[in-house]
Amino acid sequence: MSKTKFIARKQELPLSGDSTSLFLKIMISIAVFIFAITLSGVLSINSMLQNWNDSILGSLTVQIMPVTNTKKEKALAETLAHQDKAIEFLKTVDGVEKVVPLKDEQLKRLIQPWLGDGVNIENLPMPRIIDVKVKKNAEIDFIDLSAKLAQATPMASIDNHKLWLSKLIKFADGLKMLAMSVLFLVIMITSGAIFYTTQTSLGLHRYIIEILHQMGAKDTYIAQQYAHRMARIGLIGGLIGVACAVPTIFVISSLAKQIEGGIISEATLSIPAWLMIFSLPLFSLTIATTTAYYTVKQTLQKML
Amino acid sequence: MPNNFNNEAIIEMQNVGIRYDQGPEILSDIKLSLKRGSFHFLTGKSGAGKTSLLSMMYLAQKPSRGIVNVFGNNINFTNRDSLSMLRRKIGVVFQDFRLLDHLSAFDNVALPLRVCGMEEKEVKKRVTELLQWVELDRSMKATTSTLSGGEKQRIAIARAVINRPELLLADEPTGNVDNDIAPKLMKLFVELNKLGTTVVIATHSEKLINDFAYPRLHLQNKNLRIYYPNDVSKLGATHV
Repeated sequence: MSKTKFIARKQELPLSGDSTSLFLKIMISIAVFIFAITLSGVLSINSMLQNWNDSILGSLTVQIMPVTNTKKEKALAETLAHQDKAIEFLKTVDGVEKVVPLKDEQLKRLIQPWLGDGVNIENLPMPRIIDVKVKKNAEIDFIDLSAKLAQATPMASIDNHKLWLSKLIKFADGLKMLAMSVLFLVIMITSGAIFYTTQTSLGLHRYIIEILHQMGAKDTYIAQQYAHRMARIGLIGGLIGVACAVPTIFVISSLAKQIEGGIISEATLSIPAWLMIFSLPLFSLTIATTTAYYTVKQTLQKML
Repeated sequence: MPNNFNNEAIIEMQNVGIRYDQGPEILSDIKLSLKRGSFHFLTGKSGAGKTSLLSMMYLAQKPSRGIVNVFGNNINFTNRDSLSMLRRKIGVVFQDFRLLDHLSAFDNVALPLRVCGMEEKEVKKRVTELLQWVELDRSMKATTSTLSGGEKQRIAIARAVINRPELLLADEPTGNVDNDIAPKLMKLFVELNKLGTTVVIATHSEKLINDFAYPRLHLQNKNLRIYYPNDVSKLGATHV
């Protein structure tokens, strides 16, 4: 057996003992935590916008007000007659793909959250609802359409989702941009902290670096030792950050789901979104390693 | 006597001056051509500039003026990676040893080999052999901070020669070792020189200079002069 068998090779640069190691681990953990929460927010907003675009923006709702100034059966018949006129008109409009009147059962489900079970809607002056699917990219002048529909049947009115949703989408887009800025800032601050701590460490270990240079070490050899150390710190920091962020995201998500029938409950995280969040330690590893490597290369350029 | 050199200059200096910051020149108009395979002592009083001259030779410093060619490369125009490759051909024994105290004796000696990317098996073989030769094989696991001055010096010398350098520069290499070890270390330098290594040893020891009849590069009044023992006048260094 070789005499040197049990001589463990040490890194020439004693970086694991640097006082900055603990600071960087904590710093990266916090950065990844904030990054994960913000990223989940961005991804949720994305999914919400997608849902809105898919299910609402391509449609509009026409409401037929119930006739009330006559007997119940006659009023219902007249209301349905108005509905038929509206349907007939809507089918002639360019850009309209499908016109579907809601059935009694569907109407019942719509008012259920407000009036509860067991309500006989036949006893109520219920408005009729027509769901209109609009062709993709169809340009419909809703003001003109409203006026023409009123001519066809004065009891009809259009509820255009685009009018109020556009404001909501703008708000959501703004939130998304804000969150993206936070993500960018987190990356910049983390990279900056790694840059300055690496420079400090290079100053502290200048004596060893000079000896390594004298032995013929290239800058890459020294940079790799820093990159190796930062890979470890980046990975550990990232894992701690994600481990703290995931339960937090679940808590926020469950709180959002309690808002019944609201818009926010549509903001869900898909499997790819979760994969992105769980891959954040690899991302922090990459950022930390790359920043440290190039900081060392750049700083050593100033030495002979 | 070592006489296996060819006429290729391993180090050339022309009109070289060194100053630190805005201070006066500590070396002026140094002209030197050091031939491959030669052996020289470098002498001069303390503060004469021996360490500065050596540091230019081992590429830790550029001249304030003039031209320094090492292995045919003008160091003012050599890029960083090429300088690293040149340094791998140079072994240096520093006066203050410059060992890495957090590493073992073994790891310190192995450093030049690992930096070059040598396989660990070969590293272990070479380092173990050399540590046995300098009688430090029992201390190979010890961190160098626990070793005596003489032991540290032997580690520093082992580190300088482990890579079989083409140029060996030593600053007072026998200053801290026992009287019985000093001749053995000098014998190592002489053997390396016979194998083709160019050697420059900075020393104050008249005994060492007298025991080994090699030419002397002497620094005085900021200038370099060369003194040849009568029987070594054909050796490589010339003061141009």
